[in-house]
Formats: sequence, C-alpha cells, structure tokens
Amino acid sequence: MPKKYWFNPGSFLRFIPVFAIASLILLPLDVYAIQIHTSSEGIITHQVGHLFFLFSMVVLIFTITGKGLNKQKGWRMIQYSAFFFVLWNIDAIIAHFLDNQICAIKIENISLTRIKLVSQNDSSVLPWLYYILKLDHLLSVPAMLFLFKGLSNLVDDQKKIIKEKASQ
Amino acid sequence: MIVSFIPILAVDVLGSVAMVVISLLSLYKAKILRGMDPDNAIFLYLLWISVGLTIFSVSRAFGHILKQFLVLTSNTDTWHAISAYSGSVNTVSFMLVGLITLFFNQNWNINEKIFSGRKKLEETHIKLMDLNQTLENKVVERTERLTSSEHKCRRIFEQSLDTILVTDAEFRIMETNPAGIALMGYDREEMIEKKMILGGFFLDSSEWEKLSEKIKFKEYILNEEAEFIRPDNESILVLITGGLDYGAFGCAKTYHFIIKNVNDKRQMEQQIAQADKLAALGELSAGVAHEINNPLGIILGYTQLLLKQEQEPENKDDLKIIEKHVQNCKTVVSDLLSFSRKGSTEMSIVDINKVVDGVVKFLSNHSDFRNIEMTLNPHKGDRLNILGNEQELSQVIINLVINACHAVDRKGNIDIVTEKTDQDKIFIRVKDNGKGVETKNLTRIFDPFFTTKPVGQGTGLGLSVGYGIIKRHQGDISVKSSKGKGTVFTISLSAVKSKA
Repeated sequence: MPKKYWFNPGSFLRFIPVFAIASLILLPLDVYAIQIHTSSEGIITHQVGHLFFLFSMVVLIFTITGKGLNKQKGWRMIQYSAFFFVLWNIDAIIAHFLDNQICAIKIENISLTRIKLVSQNDSSVLPWLYYILKLDHLLSVPAMLFLFKGLSNLVDDQKKIIKEKASQ
Repeated sequence: MIVSFIPILAVDVLGSVAMVVISLLSLYKAKILRGMDPDNAIFLYLLWISVGLTIFSVSRAFGHILKQFLVLTSNTDTWHAISAYSGSVNTVSFMLVGLITLFFNQNWNINEKIFSGRKKLEETHIKLMDLNQTLENKVVERTERLTSSEHKCRRIFEQSLDTILVTDAEFRIMETNPAGIALMGYDREEMIEKKMILGGFFLDSSEWEKLSEKIKFKEYILNEEAEFIRPDNESILVLITGGLDYGAFGCAKTYHFIIKNVNDKRQMEQQIAQADKLAALGELSAGVAHEINNPLGIILGYTQLLLKQEQEPENKDDLKIIEKHVQNCKTVVSDLLSFSRKGSTEMSIVDINKVVDGVVKFLSNHSDFRNIEMTLNPHKGDRLNILGNEQELSQVIINLVINACHAVDRKGNIDIVTEKTDQDKIFIRVKDNGKGVETKNLTRIFDPFFTTKPVGQGTGLGLSVGYGIIKRHQGDISVKSSKGKGTVFTISLSAVKSKA
C-alpha cells in the first residue's frame, strides 16, 4: 500500500469548485453581462501562476520525501530541481512584484551595456536586490540541470533493473 | 543606480539557451525512461513534466531573447506589444507544469496498482508455468509408463506360448497371438478378417454350446477341457479359461480367452500311467515267473525221465502232451522274465538296417509270409548304429512283423521303413494294411496278457515284451491305427554319434 501523504493534491483539486462557489456567495459584486478586464489582471494572473508553480513544486518535494523516493539518487535530483524551481519562483514573484505590480523599480537604458535602475523610494538596497533578482536564470538553469540529472540517473537505474531481470 | 547590463543580458540569453537545451535533453531522457517501461505511470508523468518544462523553456527563451533583441535595437514598443502574449504563454506553460506536478500522487497510486497487478500477474504466470511444467512432466512420465506398460503387455501377448484370444460379444475372433495361430492352424487374416467363431474350432459342437452358455451365464470359465479340430483334421486337447470384459470408455464388451494346449501333457500322462502299470506288472510277473520256473524245470525233467523209461505208447503220448505244455509254460515264463528285465543283456553297437534286413530275410522264407508283399525301405547314407542288444531288437521287430502278418490275415502288404533324423533319432516303422486296432484297445495294446487273438493262439506278451526291450534301450514305441485302414508301429531309438 502506498504511504498516504499529508497533502493530497487530488482532494485539493476537488475543493476548487467549492472555493469558487463560496467566493461567489460570500463576496457578492455587481454583476454585468461581460466583465471589463483591466491590464493589471495580466500580471496578477502571472503571479498566481508563479505561486501555483511554486506550490506544486513544494508539494512535489514533500511527496518525494513522503514516499521515500529521495533514497534514490534520481528522485533526489528531481527533488533538488523542484527546490531550485521554488527559489526561481520566489525570485520571479518578487521581481514581478517590484517592477510590474508596485512599480518600485524602473529600468532605463543608458547605453547598450549600461542601465539605470531607479527606485521609487530612493532606496539603495532595492536596485541591487532587483539587479540580483534579474539574474533568475542562475536558479532556473540549475533547476533544469538537476531535472536532467535526475532523469539520467533514473534511466541508469532502470537499465540496471532490466539487466538484472535478464540475468535471472 | 547605474549598473552594467552585460551580466543581465548574458545570463538572460545564455540561460535561455541553456534552459532550452537542457529541457530538450531532459525530454529525451524522459522518453527513454518511458520507452523502457511503457506501463509505468510515473515515467509517463515524468515525460509530461518534461514536455511542460520544454514548452515553458522554449516559450520563455523565445520571449527573453526577443525582448533583449528588441530593446537593444530600440524597438521597445514592439516588445511591449508582444510581451503580453509571450508572458501569457509563459504563464500557461508553467501553470501546466504545476498542474501536472500536482497529479504526482494520483500517478503514483495508479502506478502502484499497475505494479501490484503486474506482480500478481507475474506470480500467477510463474505458478501457471510451474503448473504447466509439472503437467508436461506428468504427461511425459505417464506417456512413458503407458508406453512401457503397452510394450510389456504386447510382449506378453506376442511371446505367450499359450493362445490368447479376444472375441466380440458374439465370440467372433478379433485378435489372437502367434501361439493362437500355431494352435488353430489358420492364418491370422483368415481368423480375424473372416471373423471366425471360436465355436468353429470345437470338435464337438455340443461341447461349445455348453461352454458358451456357461460363460454367458457366469461371465467366466476356468480350465474347461475341450477338444479342438485343426484344418488338417488333427484333434488337440485344450484347456480354456475365459472371461467377459465390459470395456472402458464406451468400448463394446469383449471376451478374453487363454487356451492351453494340453495334448502333449495328456499323452505324457497316459504314457507315465502306462509305464507305471507295466512296471507293477513286471514286478508281479517276475515274482510269479521265478516261483513257477523252478517247479516247471522239475516237472519237465521228471516228464522227460519218465518218457525215456516208459514203454507203453499210450502213456508215452500223455507224457509228451505234458512235456509240450510244460515247454509252453517255460516259454511264457521266459517271456515274463524278459519283460521284467530280469534277463541278462549285453549291449554292443548294432546296425539297425542290418537287424531289420536279417529279420526280413528270416521271415520271408516262412510259410505264413508267402502271400504277403513285404517291402523294406532302409535308410540310405550313414549307418544306423545304436547301442543295444541285437537279439532283443531282432525279437521286437520279428514280433511286430508277425503281428502285422496276423493283422493282414497272411495276405497283404507290410512296409518296413528305417530312417534317421538330423537330431540323431532312428525310427523303425512297421506298417500294414490290415484290419487295424479299435480305438478302445489302443491304450491296452502293450499290457501283458492283452490279446485280441483267439484263445491259445497268442500269449499277449509279445508287444509288452517288445515294449520292455525298447524302454530298456532308452527308446520309445508307439502305435497309430485306424479301424480297417491298417496299423503303424513306430520304434524310436537314439543313434550312437558316429566318430569323425
């Protein structure tokens, strides 16, 4: 019997319609035939997407641990990959929050090789933080690399299993 | 704050390219993994993740590289127009990856079920294979046993010296062994294809009717004696044991018979009984002869003494009658002594042809043989030497020829034949075409004092004495006779092996 993990995404998904109905009932608004969408919805949707991705990766990390799969090198690597995707999502959420959502940082191109980061509150830390956050590929590439390594290890393990079966 | 754009640009462009390359490699690995075990739901899940991440990487890389290119080429407005679409595709792609990831648990459970099912299937398969192997082994073993048993039964059937016969419910012959073919004297095809009935072999059909009724009623018969008749009209005494077989697996019922030829055994038993009887008679005769011989000698001596002294012719005639009858008695006593083997015999190499020739020459001059055509067919080739007493053998042959002479009533044919077989057996046959011997008398023909001649013409000791002599020579004497057709006496003796 598979070990039951504390969080079951299936049951979570089942509650989505419940949440949706509850939101409609508990937060009544004026209803128009066709709702007008503002441009800010795009960034919010994008941020929600990042949050969802982050959440799914956290769930994956705990699921791998919960099922004891982290004893296998391949799954451990996939776990690391999920962890780096979590970091990347956090990075992306903060970066999007700063530049798109609250417009705390503004980028001005001075030349081809130089840019000017303008902080709304004249903070000296915020531009640096934003600058580092913009190097998000330093998180996403290792994440993808760990995924590749994990899959490679799983392929090797599977080859060994097939070989053992064949030798029996 | 003014900073260098190069790190951001480099990381962005190179990172995007790296993301695309690595995601494609991951997709490739995931495909390999899936290919290794297509039934594994987790591997399918990893493939979906890889597909989602590849879409995400490609769309994102495209967006980022295009952005950098447009910004650097001062086409920021164009980028602003495209960025919304690029961002939307990115959003959708990583939400897709997130969504797929959340299904890991379901996939895991499905996979567990698949694996559990597969394991059970493999276990069942192994059990089935084992069962199949066991079954195959058992089939092979049983087949071998069956073949061996069939072979054994077939050998018993083929090699049996007794007749084994299978008939249908109507006693039609269905199968028989070589011994049956030899006993019955018919071809196998003749018996089976023509469906001969067992009852047809019986000499007496009423005997078969009784037996068939008995086997139908009791479903078996045990050691029933019967007489069979062969195609050459030879009758054989047999013992029949049989039983009913109801058959298996819907086969029709059959009768199985074992038929034993007891002809030779019965003949041997009769011969033994005859020998025992003659031995007892011999003992008795010897005792009687010994006791009578001495008084007879005295009577004869005194009679002859009185004959010399007596002058009266009337008394002399009486004494001669006494002398004649005493002489007759002495002959009888002498024969009895010969029969009972009390006489002395000297054995030497004797040529049978010479003995027979002497007998024929001796008797052909006798007046009784004047009207008899006596033919001698001696064996040609090597000499018929035996170890025996010439005088005794001559006596036996003379007795047989004289008997033949009486049988043909002094007018007929007498054939004397000598022959030698490859088994060093010598046969002397004395055959006549006389009146023959009745079947009821054949068994008593060698008994002492048994005679069919009128009183006073025969002592009944000739053949019994001959029998004794032949037995003493380790030989055998037999008779075959048919009423009105003649008689054949056959003497068989063992030849002395000629020295090379």
